[in-house]
Amino acid sequence: MWIELLTKRYPGMRAWLSQRLTGLAMALYSVLAVGRFFYLAPSDYQAWVEFFQPLWWRVLTMLFWLALTLHAWLGIRDVFKDYVPNATLRSVLLKGLVILLWLYLAWAAYLLFA
Amino acid sequence: MNQKLAKKNRPKNLNLFTIRLPINALVSILHRATGCALFMILPVILLLLQWSLRSAEDLQLVLAFLHSPFIKLVLMGLAWVFFHHFFAGIRHLAMDVHWMTTLMKARYTSKVVMVLGLLATLVVSITLWL
Repeated sequence: MWIELLTKRYPGMRAWLSQRLTGLAMALYSVLAVGRFFYLAPSDYQAWVEFFQPLWWRVLTMLFWLALTLHAWLGIRDVFKDYVPNATLRSVLLKGLVILLWLYLAWAAYLLFA
Repeated sequence: MNQKLAKKNRPKNLNLFTIRLPINALVSILHRATGCALFMILPVILLLLQWSLRSAEDLQLVLAFLHSPFIKLVLMGLAWVFFHHFFAGIRHLAMDVHWMTTLMKARYTSKVVMVLGLLATLVVSITLWL
């Protein structure tokens, strides 16, 4: 069964599918965000705050950022794997990337829910 | 032995500027480059969002910053970066489901991606400067 390809035995397949699904999710969110922006057309500070007020929108935006985190991890990881042949340097860069993405994720959560 | 020597003396060409990339290779490498660029502007996006939501005065400051002529040029560039990554990504998804995979079709969709990216950037640029 093809579903077997998504188990831990085939981590590459999981990465491949995750990259596609997160990309698709972000594309849909982007279209929705642009549409919502032009529909509500926030013209002052109050309207801008209200744009981010509804809980469903903040949850959706947080899901977008989660998808972005995973997508960026897979993408930049591939770039490092391709262009940084030195294993030590690459491992340092990958650790830095993880820390940075966690920081951004926490920052986004703080902006949306604090 | 002879074979080894031949391998060693094989010519190498690592100067990318002497290689003419086919359009599909160009779209592909630009998808990667734009992805890196988008990753690098993440903190700027979060920072601008944070400032814009802090107070009415801060929102005015952010808007004034975004409307300065130089930053408008930067935004035009970033618009292209986003749209290229967006459309090239959709093209990759299409090819993942085995749509438009022959060489001729792949070349054609590459051109479509380039044109759509530039067109969308043009629309954004017009709204930016009007």
